[in-house]
Amino acid sequence: MSQELFDRFSSPGVSRRGLLGGMLGGAVAATANLTGLDVLQQPALADTLKRNDRRVILLWLAGGASQLETWDPKPGRPTGGPFRAIQTNVPGVQISELMPKMSQRLQHTAIIRSLNTKIGDHGGGARLMHLGRRDESNLRLPDLGAMLARELSDPRSLAPDYVTYYTATEGRGNAVGQAGFLGSRFAPMFLTTEAQPENLSRLTAITATEDQRRAEMRSLLSQRFAAERQTGAVGSHDEAYARVRNLMAGEKLFDISDEPQAIRDLYGPTLFGKQALVARRLIEAGTPFVKISRAWWDSHGQNFETHLELVTELDNVMAALLDDLKARGLLESTLVVTLSEFGRTPNINASLGRDHFAKAWSTSLTGCGIQGGSVYGKTDPDGHTVADGEIGAAELFATIFEALGIDPQKEYHVGSRPVPLTDIGTLPVTEVLA
Amino acid sequence: MTRLALVTVILFPLVVPGFSKASELLPADRPLAEVVDHYVSQKLRDAKVEPAAAADDATIIRRLTLDLAGRIPTAAEAQSYVASTDPEKKAGLVERLIDSDAYARHQANEFDAFLMADMNASLRDYLLTAFQEGRGWDQIFREVVIADQLSEAKAAAEFVKRRAKDADKLANDVSVMFFGVNVSCAKCHDHPLVAEWTQDHFYGMKSFFSRTFENGDFIGERDYGVVKFKTTDGDEKTAKPMLLSGAIVDEPESAEPTAEEKKKEKELLEKLKKDKQPPPPPKYSRRAQLAEAGLQAADREYFSRAIVNRLWYRLFGHGLVMPIDQMHPENEPSHPQLLQWLARDLQNHDYDLTRLVRGLVLSDAYARTSRWAGDARPRPDLFAVAAVRPLTPHQYATSLRLAVRSPARFSGDVSGDEVTSRIASVENGARSLANQFDQPGENFQVSVTEALMLSNNEKVTNELLRDAGDSLVGDLKTLDEPQRAVETAAWNVLTRELTEDERRLLTDFFVGQGDDRLTASRQLVWSLLTSSELRFNY
Repeated sequence: MSQELFDRFSSPGVSRRGLLGGMLGGAVAATANLTGLDVLQQPALADTLKRNDRRVILLWLAGGASQLETWDPKPGRPTGGPFRAIQTNVPGVQISELMPKMSQRLQHTAIIRSLNTKIGDHGGGARLMHLGRRDESNLRLPDLGAMLARELSDPRSLAPDYVTYYTATEGRGNAVGQAGFLGSRFAPMFLTTEAQPENLSRLTAITATEDQRRAEMRSLLSQRFAAERQTGAVGSHDEAYARVRNLMAGEKLFDISDEPQAIRDLYGPTLFGKQALVARRLIEAGTPFVKISRAWWDSHGQNFETHLELVTELDNVMAALLDDLKARGLLESTLVVTLSEFGRTPNINASLGRDHFAKAWSTSLTGCGIQGGSVYGKTDPDGHTVADGEIGAAELFATIFEALGIDPQKEYHVGSRPVPLTDIGTLPVTEVLA
Repeated sequence: MTRLALVTVILFPLVVPGFSKASELLPADRPLAEVVDHYVSQKLRDAKVEPAAAADDATIIRRLTLDLAGRIPTAAEAQSYVASTDPEKKAGLVERLIDSDAYARHQANEFDAFLMADMNASLRDYLLTAFQEGRGWDQIFREVVIADQLSEAKAAAEFVKRRAKDADKLANDVSVMFFGVNVSCAKCHDHPLVAEWTQDHFYGMKSFFSRTFENGDFIGERDYGVVKFKTTDGDEKTAKPMLLSGAIVDEPESAEPTAEEKKKEKELLEKLKKDKQPPPPPKYSRRAQLAEAGLQAADREYFSRAIVNRLWYRLFGHGLVMPIDQMHPENEPSHPQLLQWLARDLQNHDYDLTRLVRGLVLSDAYARTSRWAGDARPRPDLFAVAAVRPLTPHQYATSLRLAVRSPARFSGDVSGDEVTSRIASVENGARSLANQFDQPGENFQVSVTEALMLSNNEKVTNELLRDAGDSLVGDLKTLDEPQRAVETAAWNVLTRELTEDERRLLTDFFVGQGDDRLTASRQLVWSLLTSSELRFNY
């Protein structure tokens, strides 16, 4: 089997265009005489269609958010700190009192309290939690965003496939965002504090008409060149420029001044809130993966003041985002994830801080494909170790893929080597899946 | 200290794929280009595929200048080559390009991108000297692996130094880059495709690097230390220094030092670190053993074939063995005898890469057109039609910058030396732009980021579309006749004559922009610069 054919077989990322055009490789070609309509009635393919509407927003809490001040409080214990736990709208589930809004919206959220990810330095932890596995020296791995862009993107969309906000504290150099062996097509669009992405606006020196005309001439010349030279790389050049036209047409997506004041008020005036609103606009327009970031959670000193400020903001922004998604009917197809590079130590140090802690910490998954109100895993009474349901980054990733209807064991091929989405044999946490 | 490596070939037979007896190959004294065409034509006949016609002169000078000097030709170079009636003009051009300073610079850029990919470090200065002096690939291999920080070639040590923290990576990079074999699959389990390759091979290669360490700004190597690993059966095993052929390097016994000795060693290293001095060389260097044993017997075959395949891949867009890091016995080359002949030729000629490159580019197989008018493009491993290869970052950036300079800067009225130095300065000025592009690999795709930058970045487009006395745009806006403006721009950017059709199309476009000649010139140049034609070596 040729490599090209092989890729086709191993790629369930069938685009809608491909489906409706009735021109499919592999699986469908095997069941002959399918009209476009029949295709829609095939359950497996209907799933593909539905899956193309699925989206992910990652709330990245850079520096390492404390599980004790968020999803896994230990009130009254020596490690518990000054904050209390509050009852949520899910019977028997308590979270930190710093999250009053989320406590009343937990019916769509699953909490996982049993991450043991082992890597306790910022760089290594951030890479692990973006890649879902350890770096390999000989393979450039794609991160979660790139894999989801590859699996969920629609080539006709006006929206970018993968947008990531990094924080000034991390800086562009430390922020993880890589397409690895999937290739530049799925590389992230990096943004930081500026609302507008780089090089998206038309040059000030030329008019819209001029811009349009030169693009048409460029495309015409390129198509003439490519006519008798049809290869993948050549095609990708014209596609990249066609994508530019789409992205420029969607420039307004990044401009939240379009939003009604009431909506902007809902998300609040902070940068994190504004990013969340841009994220909602993007996924609404078809972007499959957006990561927004808030820094700097690394509270080696004054953990409780830091978390009072940051968790309160997280509570506000996350609640606003969920309410807005729900009001628009998008929550069912959008998965919202909170994640850090690691959690924080149960022991409180002499500076009233908590240090890096990867041994027993928490994450939350909300919306698409998730069993709302579920809690998975348990730490011991003081939070030092995982007492039940220990999982690592790979299982979390498998759970995310499964929630989105993607087979976590699906394989890409790098040369002759098969590389599954998550390491071989990784099982998703079915307990939190709908 | 020179100690001959004692190499034992244990039970393994010669595991080199597709190995014919020397007597079955074409004689060693046949010209290299002829041998290439002999074997390529043979396979085409067997496959009953008629190869594409030869490319025209403008395409040939563009292809050769990109491959040998790392840039497109100037309009003047292209025009004079096309106009020349000299029947030997291609050979003459190849010699001129190979003799130019740009050739060594281009080789250094290409090999630096290959050897130091993703390392945030460069071997360029070392490589430039190496290619300027015409060092053989065997010598470069030795200097890179031995990494002697007291020798003249100390700059080569950067290769090992940047990887010293990660012996797995060092072992695999050396296997891939110098022996064409990715052994990383054999790390956790025996190789799934290659029965001969076991974990012993991976950890055997790793053993050559496991004694290497970083000490401040230097690297050192210990006299002791072994690699232990767990087999898939769960047993613990001590690795022996083993080459890819299965040859094991016998070495003197090394005793683990006492705690007291270790303490002293640590103190010495701390002091050397502070004094910014390299650690003392080991009495017995495993890396030096690899440099020696890797060039013998069956491993020499891997070594020679790997570099032949890599240069073939670079010039033909598809290797004789694909993927290029899977040159293992289960992966047959498309032209086994050709690969074997070329590897033997390389060994017989001091691993002279320039001899190889010259021979490859003088072949008819290299000189075909990239256009294929028939139904489906033939399989790439037939080399029936030229590949369309994405430019490397340096090639693209230099070509973009060269294409937007006024053609008068490089015309026949300027002395040859002056033209050479002006081109070198364009190349130098293109470095920061080159950093914005991705290094192409297998299944390369042009990124949207690149297209966005060349479309909308103020700084980049201002530079490329500058209105000045020495720029193309500056020239074009002063030309009265639209058709001349179009032809001038096309020669500068596409380095060829336009077809009648294209001339009409572009002239209409130029005139259609209205009376503002500056804007019209910019629109024209931008359309040509960002068209797919400039992005590829076709």
